[in-house]
Amino acid sequence: MSHLSMEALLALREPGVEPGDVAAREHMESCAACRGELERLHQRAARLRALPALRPSRDLWPAVRLRQRIESRRWQQRWTGVAGFLAAASVALALFWGDVARPEAADASAEIAAARERSQVLESALEEYNPELRVIDGRTARVSQALEDRIAELDQQLEAAQLRQVQRVEEEQQEARMLQLWRERVGLLNALVDVHVTRASNVGL
Amino acid sequence: MTLTRTLPMDPYLVANADAVLAGARQGDAAALEKLFRAFESPVYTLARRICRTAEDAEDVLQETFFEVCRSIGRYRGEGSLWGWVRSIAASKALMRLRRNRYRDTDELDDATAPSRREDTALRMDLEAALERLSETSRAVVWLHDVEGYTHEEIAAMMGRTVSFSKSQLARAHVRLRRWLGEEVDA
Ligand SMILES: [Zn+2]
Repeated sequence: MSHLSMEALLALREPGVEPGDVAAREHMESCAACRGELERLHQRAARLRALPALRPSRDLWPAVRLRQRIESRRWQQRWTGVAGFLAAASVALALFWGDVARPEAADASAEIAAARERSQVLESALEEYNPELRVIDGRTARVSQALEDRIAELDQQLEAAQLRQVQRVEEEQQEARMLQLWRERVGLLNALVDVHVTRASNVGL
Repeated sequence: MTLTRTLPMDPYLVANADAVLAGARQGDAAALEKLFRAFESPVYTLARRICRTAEDAEDVLQETFFEVCRSIGRYRGEGSLWGWVRSIAASKALMRLRRNRYRDTDELDDATAPSRREDTALRMDLEAALERLSETSRAVVWLHDVEGYTHEEIAAMMGRTVSFSKSQLARAHVRLRRWLGEEVDA
């Protein structure tokens, strides 16, 4: 009989008896080479377990904590919004204050701050309108779902960019990236407000 | 999915665990940080052994603890705390591995690998040999031989079959044996 394969040797280390184990054990009795192989297998596993523990090169807790705080704040914003319907005036304001009207050469961080603020206005508009409690047609629901999915995706990317910025990784690129992401987010929120609120007021809700 | 098999003794204990857990469930920052400090090294070690780069491992560490902070309320004390944290870490690391699968270049084929005589002369050390394995083989050998997961558990975590896990482990050991210069001529 030829020597045991690696699979057969490994099977001998598993708890319980697998098919083939009996024959394999019989072979081991009479084969010093395979006994040696099994011993080396044990030793290799033991050496793997004895490899030193590793530590990250920098403290990652602040980043975890930041991300966690962003998440819980967003969650609160989403669910503890002011109840009641949206005042027509604030919709008009929100829609009028279009993101096309952004200043030409404003620096990135100011523009990010403006976009962030604008996002909040639009989000609270949506929250007050509360689309989840309304009956909407299938097409609106699909469009709305697609927009919301994309916004969630953007939020993840924003979070990642923000983390890298906190960690001082390519700060300038992150800022440019965040600006771009915020612009897209405002655009999507505008579309979402348009889908829900504008349409609703057009049909005289 | 519950992963029940843990090391005989929980190797990483949190001092004053009950109070820390209670605080963490309330979202207390100091308690959450204590959990992070207790497990950051074992989680990072697992992630670093499975992932290709230190950067990936750092991301896995962050994702793991973000998840721990978010779902600590769901940990009901069944099984060890480290077992619970580790199962999150393992699944995050494997998720990253799946995401990077397109660049999971297999270890050098026999055709392109140095001949056996040269290999023996090279005699890589264990860490270098481990790094040289394909991501999948390395993950399986680490989860099985070091972390003590069963093939059934590994298969479930990786979304593969038990026989896939077994054959990856055998493959890993055949490679390691060769690269460590442990092959005995018959
Ligand atoms: Zn033999």
